Amino acid sequence: MVECDFPECNTFGSVIRFALELEKGASGVYEELAREPHAAPAAETFKTLAAAHKKRGELLEFTRQQKLNEMILEPIQDMNGKNYLIDTRTPKGVDVKAAAKFAGKIEETSARFYLDAAKIAKMLMAEAARIMDRLGKESQANKAKLDAL
Amino acid sequence: MALLSEVKKNYGKLKNYVNGEWIDSTSGKYIDIENPTTGEIIGQVPMSSADETKAAIEAANEAWWAWRETPPITRARVFFKLKEVMEQHFENIARIMVQEQGKTIDEARGETRRTIENVETAAGIPTLMMGYGLEDGGAEGIDEEAVISPLGVFGAVCPFNFPAMIPYWFWPYAVAAGNTYIIKPSSQVPMTQNYLTKLVEEAGFPPGVLNIVNGSHEVSDTLMEHPKVKGISFVGSTPVAKYIYKKSAENGKRVQAQGGAKNSLVVMPDAVLDRTISNMLASFYGCAGQRCLAGSNLVAVGDVAEPLLKSFVERSKKIKVGYGMDESVNMGPVISAKAKTKVIEYIDGAEKEGAKVLLDGRKIKVPGYEKGHFVGPTVIDGVTPDMKIAKEEVFGPVVGYMRMNSLDEAIDFIHSSPFGNAASIYTQSGKLAREFRYRCQVGNVGINVGLVAAMAYFPFAGYKNSFFGDLHGQGQDAVRFFTDRKVVITRWF
Repeated sequence: MVECDFPECNTFGSVIRFALELEKGASGVYEELAREPHAAPAAETFKTLAAAHKKRGELLEFTRQQKLNEMILEPIQDMNGKNYLIDTRTPKGVDVKAAAKFAGKIEETSARFYLDAAKIAKMLMAEAARIMDRLGKESQANKAKLDAL
Repeated sequence: MALLSEVKKNYGKLKNYVNGEWIDSTSGKYIDIENPTTGEIIGQVPMSSADETKAAIEAANEAWWAWRETPPITRARVFFKLKEVMEQHFENIARIMVQEQGKTIDEARGETRRTIENVETAAGIPTLMMGYGLEDGGAEGIDEEAVISPLGVFGAVCPFNFPAMIPYWFWPYAVAAGNTYIIKPSSQVPMTQNYLTKLVEEAGFPPGVLNIVNGSHEVSDTLMEHPKVKGISFVGSTPVAKYIYKKSAENGKRVQAQGGAKNSLVVMPDAVLDRTISNMLASFYGCAGQRCLAGSNLVAVGDVAEPLLKSFVERSKKIKVGYGMDESVNMGPVISAKAKTKVIEYIDGAEKEGAKVLLDGRKIKVPGYEKGHFVGPTVIDGVTPDMKIAKEEVFGPVVGYMRMNSLDEAIDFIHSSPFGNAASIYTQSGKLAREFRYRCQVGNVGINVGLVAAMAYFPFAGYKNSFFGDLHGQGQDAVRFFTDRKVVITRWF
């Protein structure tokens, strides 16, 4: 199980923190799935996705550092973090189908989070919104990849 | 949500940085630095003497000529290195600021970004300080040119509200232009500048080019009186800005002295309310209202007054107050117990003058931070132009809600203020916005922007009692302040 600490999403920093926790959770789950003996045929895919989510975390940290404009640091409303919590209790003894289904839910939730966050961020920080939008679409693509396994 | 970790619990006794060395103050006098959120003592800052300040001025003066002879592009390269080092230490800079100043981590990260942006802008010095010339400008066969030259040693006296950024409105431009510099950080928040100066050292600036002398008025007065100091930059309250302007000018120095403010945010009936309120919350409550650009009076024009007030109060109630190390906190404390008392006195005074406190932040309790100097978001309705709360700078998270009948009345009210720092209008009408920006006698005008904070490549402006001097901090204004134009007329026989 990957430990995550999801904050409420009411500031720019807390939305990025939430996203970082999502990435940490997703990456950790993929690493655990890659070690599952019954899911071994998909191990490489899971390893690749684990690495991709780690890289997304780095991109988020870069975004937090470089795309911030304190002139428009408005409180964020209408984004309830509870709607985007992911299950990081990686199941044991699963085969490829079950593992992909479990990870697919994470990607689906992540996609929803990022695309919703992009809409909100667009009003505040357009540059950060573009990154969120990109990550959301990547998660949708990851979900499609997992569905095909 | 777990708190972000502090860089250190306690920073001990701070040192001065003079001629490339970290040295203990010889004054023997130290004052405590308090974390305004927790009440913990997190370090001690020396109250340096006049002699120590003079030694720093001499060191800066000694370093000047060699630095002045260093080509601008070479000077710029040291700033590129500084930017790189600052990016590596970005999070530490921000967290020290939260710890000593009380702002939220988002605000501190934003300030760190702006600090770096000033370094980036100053690194453009080879272009920024180019002169101009004209062949046959004097007469046939006589050429004339104006070269832009540095002047020597400059100094800054800095405030508590932006521990990182404000010294960087000045010194990068001064030093990039070939001058040397002395910073006196605020004694309430000296640690951020202390940390940043270690990065300056790491970047490779030669000894004496940038110096830090901690202390109080003894340091400031020495900087203003010393004949080898060419100019002073200051940000703080209006009475002190006036004093600095007068004293420095008496001693033949250039001065740029930024004073206080009383900023009005005017909402027209056609404003997009939801977006307007979000933006105004950041202006009124950001940095707990301790910005010279913070909104202070909310002026509702016409029939927008009632719906705006209702929504604004509801949204203000949702502002989460606490320790800025929690990324979900929207607002931290004010800087000190004294500052808190002053803010509360203003609220009490408004009530006595007949205004109604609709949202009262005076008795806020923040669990776990009982020693913090918190004032919660406060909205006072029924404020009229004659009330003290409408006229004086509060420097806290307090909104004076005013109702007016027309834009003319709102602009007249803005002009009645002795301050002229900033004013904003919220409207969808280009005509009204144009009229507002054209007529308003303030240095920074916002159109649907409540925090009119100029970027590094624009001047941080200010009119009336909000600024004394002519050339502002940041960008081209700063380069002009720290240089002079030398005219050269050339003829060859």
